[in-house]
Amino acid sequence: MAPKAMSYKANSVIYFKGDASEKIYILKTGRISLTSEDIETGQEVRDFIQTGEFFGVKSALGRYPREESALVLGDAEVVQFSVPEFEQFVAQNTRVIMKMLKVFSNQLRRIHVRVQNLLSQEEKSDPEAGLFSIGEYYLKKRMYPQAVHVFRRYLTYYPSGKFATEAAGNRTMAEQYAQKYGSGKGPVPGTPAAMAAPAAAPKPSAPELSETAKLYYNAVSVFSQNNFAEALKQFKKIADAGVDEEYTVKSLYELGRCYFHLGQHDQCIRHFTAMVQSYPKMPDLPDALFYVGQCYEAKGDEARARGFYSKILSMASEDNPIRRKAQKAVRTLEERKK
Amino acid sequence: MSLSLSAFERFAVIFQKGDIIFCEHEPGDSFYLIQSGRVHISRVMGEIEKTIDILQPGEIFGEMAILEEVPRSANAVALDQVKTLEFNRANFEILMRGNPQIAMKLLKLFSKRIYDQRRRFMILTLDDLQARVADVFLMLAETDPGQNQDSEKREFKTSIDDIAHWAGLPTDKCREVINHFVSQRRIEVLSDRIVMKNINEFVRFVAARRRAASS
Repeated sequence: MAPKAMSYKANSVIYFKGDASEKIYILKTGRISLTSEDIETGQEVRDFIQTGEFFGVKSALGRYPREESALVLGDAEVVQFSVPEFEQFVAQNTRVIMKMLKVFSNQLRRIHVRVQNLLSQEEKSDPEAGLFSIGEYYLKKRMYPQAVHVFRRYLTYYPSGKFATEAAGNRTMAEQYAQKYGSGKGPVPGTPAAMAAPAAAPKPSAPELSETAKLYYNAVSVFSQNNFAEALKQFKKIADAGVDEEYTVKSLYELGRCYFHLGQHDQCIRHFTAMVQSYPKMPDLPDALFYVGQCYEAKGDEARARGFYSKILSMASEDNPIRRKAQKAVRTLEERKK
Repeated sequence: MSLSLSAFERFAVIFQKGDIIFCEHEPGDSFYLIQSGRVHISRVMGEIEKTIDILQPGEIFGEMAILEEVPRSANAVALDQVKTLEFNRANFEILMRGNPQIAMKLLKLFSKRIYDQRRRFMILTLDDLQARVADVFLMLAETDPGQNQDSEKREFKTSIDDIAHWAGLPTDKCREVINHFVSQRRIEVLSDRIVMKNINEFVRFVAARRRAASS
């Protein structure tokens, strides 16, 4: 088989819209138009083929029905190729392929933009939430290395995103589980079973985020954008509502950080002191004490500041990063003294 | 497939078995040609991961990265140790110029993607949700020429999730529409496939709605 030269009389049709065909043509002489309908308006669109131009390429290569009708306006000579013949022909002529690649990639860009514009807001996927949910999926399936990878990428793209705090927590969890149990083993992270008894059977699914949790992560996101005044308001609301103890404590802690970043040192000291009394077992206790120390230092009360830093050193575990911070703060105070 | 690609070693990237090459929703700026090993393409839908394709050496993936700012539409994970050539918008021409076979592969992929996008556009312009879902079935029929063209019946190895994705609808909404077709006995939903009883009914139905919308 070889490419076939063919003649068409004026007013004949080479192919119709909707035809299935794997033939590709090149116009040698004559006049041919391609008639299609605009995909948006349905209006007829007519293009004229230049001499030496290929037509029917996309539908033949993509194996889908013709999107246009090829009408012969004036007696025409064309060469007809099968797909393999076309491939062989252009293989010796990379310039033709490159030109087509450029035209096609431009068309792809244009149509893609039109599709995106058409998708309404709620239909559009939220890539940030999407990426995070894939990490969660891998975590649930106990595919820890994959989960670590996805949460890392999430944090690279959205370092202060909506799920940044959770992603960082999940990443650490996945790293620990990978070491402790190995891929595909161990309990499903994040489920009550995993917290209580590591050997218990995995639960099929983790519960969805509660409303309070959503409010909390939203406020965390505001905080990470350095909008401390607004974050303060939001955390206060969550803490005052007191719906979920876990998030009440978390929000109270964040409230203190907001005071600190707003430079309200007295407020910050009062807040954390009261909090430590109400929740002596709060998870972020050393960090809270560190903020208090920083506040005293800012107020010029170095003795009190040092007292808080020493307290942290006596209670924080070796691998807690707050320990290094406290050590550094003590050193700085001592150097200042000299 | 014999490719003289030694000149492109500098673009080579090796992934270990199980490595994520890219994952759905992350921004993509490169695309890949597999030189050895296989790549699993999948999409996570709620609690399940659905295989879309398993790609072999010589195949290209991630080609939508040719468009700016488009998040990846699927996960690509190495099934074996995988060696790929990695390209981006800036350097893909260099590779294509010296390798007509690869350029041709890419040309075919672009042809298919343009069709997919045009077809998606046409589906989404239908405001009538029944017509929208019906048109997704027609699109699936068009791209599967292996079916018996003389019969009015068409079978699709697809799921409601897939249909919903194409129709730009939440899965629940899409299921509602499909249940309506089922109650009309136009469609049958089986565990592994969906059967359309009479394609011509759907063709007429969609054409009528499309005309009504544009007039």
